Amino acid sequence: MIPGSPQRKALLENAVKGRSLWDDARRRLMRNRAAVASMVVLAVMVTLAVVGPFLVPFHYDTVTKTDVWMSPMTGGHLLGTDSLGRDLLARLLAGLGVSLAIGVVATSVSLLIGVVWGSVAGYLGGRLDEVMMRVVDTLYSLPFIFFVILLMVTFGRNIFLIFLAIGAVEWLTMSRIVRGQTLSLKDKEFIEAARAAGLSSGQIIARHIVPNLLGPVVVYVTLTIPAVIIAESFLSFLGLGVQPPMASLGTLIATGAQDMEMAPWLLIFPSLTMIVTLMAFNFIGDGLRDALDPKDR
Amino acid sequence: MGFIFEKGFDVMSHHRNRSADIEKASPLIRKLLLAGLAVLSLAGCGQSAPSRPPCPEGSVCLLYGNGSEPLTLDPHLSTGTWEDRIQSDLLIGLSQSDPEGKPIPGMAERWEISPDGLTWTFYLRKANWSDGVPVTADDFVYSFRRLLDPKIASEYASVFYLMKGARAVNEGKAPPEALGVTAVDPLTLRIELNHPAPYLIELAKHHTMYPVPKHVVEKWGAAWIQPEHFVGNGPYLLKEYRLGNYVRTVKNPKFWDADKVCIDEVRFYPTNDAISAERRVARGELDLNTDIQSNRIAYLKTKMPGYVHTHTYLGIAYLAFNTGPKTGYPPFRDRRVRQALAMAIDKDFITRGLLRGGQTPAATFVPPGVANYPGAEPAYWSAWPFPKRQAEARRLLAAAGYGPGNPLKVDIKHRNSADPMQFMPAVQADWKEIGVETTLTQAEVQIAYADYRARAYQVADAAWIADYNDPTSFLDLQRSYTGAQNYGDYNSPEFDALMAKADMEPDVAKRAAYIAKAEHLMLEDAPIAPIYFYVNKNLVSPKVTGWVDNLLDHHRTRWLCMKPG
Amino acid sequence: MLRFLFRRLLVAIPTLFLVITVAFFMMRAAPGSPFVNERQLSPEVEKVIQAQYGMDRPLVEQYVSYLGDVVRGDFGPSLKYRDKTVLDILKENYGVSLKLGLSAILIAALMGVSLGVIAALRQNKVADYATMTLAILGVCIPTFVTAPLLVLFFASRLGWLPTAGWNNGALLNMVLPVAVLALPQIAIISRLTRAGMIEVLRSNYIRTARAKGLPDNLIVRKHALRAAILPLVSYLGPACAGLLTGSLVVEKIFNLPGLGKFFVISALQRDYTVVMGMVIVYALLILTLNLIADMMYAALDPRVKLS
Repeated sequence: MIPGSPQRKALLENAVKGRSLWDDARRRLMRNRAAVASMVVLAVMVTLAVVGPFLVPFHYDTVTKTDVWMSPMTGGHLLGTDSLGRDLLARLLAGLGVSLAIGVVATSVSLLIGVVWGSVAGYLGGRLDEVMMRVVDTLYSLPFIFFVILLMVTFGRNIFLIFLAIGAVEWLTMSRIVRGQTLSLKDKEFIEAARAAGLSSGQIIARHIVPNLLGPVVVYVTLTIPAVIIAESFLSFLGLGVQPPMASLGTLIATGAQDMEMAPWLLIFPSLTMIVTLMAFNFIGDGLRDALDPKDR
Repeated sequence: MGFIFEKGFDVMSHHRNRSADIEKASPLIRKLLLAGLAVLSLAGCGQSAPSRPPCPEGSVCLLYGNGSEPLTLDPHLSTGTWEDRIQSDLLIGLSQSDPEGKPIPGMAERWEISPDGLTWTFYLRKANWSDGVPVTADDFVYSFRRLLDPKIASEYASVFYLMKGARAVNEGKAPPEALGVTAVDPLTLRIELNHPAPYLIELAKHHTMYPVPKHVVEKWGAAWIQPEHFVGNGPYLLKEYRLGNYVRTVKNPKFWDADKVCIDEVRFYPTNDAISAERRVARGELDLNTDIQSNRIAYLKTKMPGYVHTHTYLGIAYLAFNTGPKTGYPPFRDRRVRQALAMAIDKDFITRGLLRGGQTPAATFVPPGVANYPGAEPAYWSAWPFPKRQAEARRLLAAAGYGPGNPLKVDIKHRNSADPMQFMPAVQADWKEIGVETTLTQAEVQIAYADYRARAYQVADAAWIADYNDPTSFLDLQRSYTGAQNYGDYNSPEFDALMAKADMEPDVAKRAAYIAKAEHLMLEDAPIAPIYFYVNKNLVSPKVTGWVDNLLDHHRTRWLCMKPG
Repeated sequence: MLRFLFRRLLVAIPTLFLVITVAFFMMRAAPGSPFVNERQLSPEVEKVIQAQYGMDRPLVEQYVSYLGDVVRGDFGPSLKYRDKTVLDILKENYGVSLKLGLSAILIAALMGVSLGVIAALRQNKVADYATMTLAILGVCIPTFVTAPLLVLFFASRLGWLPTAGWNNGALLNMVLPVAVLALPQIAIISRLTRAGMIEVLRSNYIRTARAKGLPDNLIVRKHALRAAILPLVSYLGPACAGLLTGSLVVEKIFNLPGLGKFFVISALQRDYTVVMGMVIVYALLILTLNLIADMMYAALDPRVKLS
């Protein structure tokens, strides 16, 4: 065999890498048709939300007085227009982007707080763990929707605040999951080894615990994003969501539901978009869980 | 919220292997499932009669969609039209609304006005409270003093500052006896005014001027309005007052005109969601609702013929420019800028294209049809076609120093209620066309008004519904001494002087001429931009008879009846 | 058991205290005031009103006196509904919310468990896929979309049910609101049950029971269901929170005289005392439910001891 040939390189690499847990998981995930289809759908959604607004000939807040309440496929409006003659497609794409962004950012906020809180509590254990988890239990028993509403009322309806408020509510479960996982990790040999090598607790958490939490955390993240999107739409329905003329899927559905007898398309398209997006996230989450679940091997 | 996926996380796995071989669900499970389905589909057997609360045999019961929740039923404390509808069935003032909303004698059978217009004498009819105690002039004196009592803190007290001594009493600077209202004898009441006010008889049917039973209020204090204590002089009695649910009133057998009252029982429901209420009226679960969402009117006219009632209303939606010397927005101190913005709004689109509820574009501040007033001449640009107004607006802005290189930037702060949410983006688009960069800031109603009052805004979305049928109910807002509610801090000595002259003028025609001159001056000064005049919108079942659409949207239940069936 | 109860109550008190404190100061930090309206008070009159409600005192002083009042069971007068006290509002409206919530959770449990068990027993068959699709849809469609659609179909189109209103809790009036409230919960519960059931059915003791020749029927009822329901019990707390959020929507759309709508309206109108009353009641409710859930958990699972 000629040194450096592609075959040899591949062979060598395989020999070194072996089949990791992640490879296995990926293969299982790829066999899950619903999950794969959902990933494709989601990829399309994200692309549309990012690129779409540049392709549609209308801006999401352009008022066209002559085009009020046009039905789909008329006057160059693929999905029709609303009461102000704004193009629904443009608004839908903008709204999808906002909803996805809220989902991702709020979930990241919850991820950050939850992972730090849970891993510290789980790893250090003892009294501190008890106190930290008591705090989580306490927060669990608060009527959270009330606090989100209070936050909105207190600080005004600001899109960043929506991110923050929802994220701050979602981190509790994350911290519980992370703590449970950390507890089971911390007695493993490789952690012992790291400790023996003289690494500090902080270093061990950052370098060894957190990376190994990835599996369950990824699953939870994919399930949190749709929960956040629903939560935002709920706030929108109560009139506490994003500020117009900006749109989110929630505000579009809320206004669409008002006009549904006269302009059903204003309800149908945003609802469909929302349902498809949420289902995609859910199927991916389920698929990931199945793929990563060792019980199922 | 996030609870949806919590906790169950670690048990919600889909397992691909086939494991369970038990194929048949147990009978128990089946039963459970069937029970669940049965509950959900209980009604699945044909069209049911509309769901209505029981109505006594032979009685006429009206189910009244009343818009909002009453904040209070005390006539001296309330401010809402939805409260007024209930109160006006329970109590009657010196005058009252006829089916068309016009003032007719109420507790006063007749009245006399002194030649200088400053002293009014009311001769009361002989009538009793619902507990049999006679209604006297003393009850009225007691009621007016109560209204102006600073401890009661009535939001409407300032409307009555035209009564002699009222302001001092309300501010706690004079004893209640200083109020210029006297009981000459049990059935004669004298009211003294600071200036002639031809609209006093309109005011006298406002809920704040209703009498309250002195003997009951003194006994129970604030609790007098609770159903167990309530005593009134109107056609109906308060029976139940369940917040969030309904207010129930029944016919008062001791009312002086009880024989002519047709409806025996009324339930007033809070119907904050107009669309939901509309479906209830359609199904006969309500007999009427006092609001319709503007843009559904055309649809409802075809879907529910005979139900939709609209009429011009004594109200206006306008924009206020913050012009104040200290707190104002500097560009708005230039009258040309205000004029440009005011003329560049396409009010026709807002009313006919967008709201579609029968609202009319407003060229003046005082709506047409107001009593004692033929109306003012609109600003010079009002009749021009829209493109001409746009051209003029661009010219004015350029003259004021704004243009492509230096665009005017403004922020509109507006309430997040249904109508402003609809039309503000249209205003934004209109102003964009004359080169003005506009941002919109929404706020809850409470915050918006707090900000307007603190002058923490540039352009405010404001609305006004007249308290009484007279031009001053609108134009007083623009007087420099008005304070908080003169949102834009408009300060024109000329306008003030004309209004003051009108105040002192006993002759109605001359008074109207002064007011019209003042209004025209103000409109061309453009501290405000009128947008549209309100309409009142009621959805009334054709079964309800005696309903007359009118300017004040007053429909007292005593004038209504219901067709059987 | 008693010791456990006592300990949980000890924890509940600081929790409640925290809730009250945070809510109180957040509400007061909000811009706007309950006394600002379209029609404005003269400054003199406003001062009088402020004094009447004790709102002219320093905030901390108001807070301390509010705490004292709450301990004595006095939630104060409503600042907006001037004929009513907060207690009046709670008393007049809790019944509807309670009735709705209980019916919804009961139906959700019945339907959810049944569907979940069926899906588990027929794993990867049509019934399973149908149930799980329904479950995913139930979670993905917001209640404020299902509610008007159901109204349009069952009430406006078919005329089987009233479109809205309470009508003193008539059965027909309850069907749609309860269905809307229960749907997402049915979805979640059926998923939880299915997963739990599958897990249990694979466990050794069920295999043993089956090997012993016990009828399937009995196995499901006596052994499997009991274990599979465990995760459900711990879901009770979140379910309650879910019903609470749902009730805000349902009460609005169906025009029902419940507590939920007062929260949003009062928060927007800055009716401080009513908002506080609502927060306290709901916090108490959730605390109690969590406690009940823990106790049920212990009763169902012999491995858990209440300590």
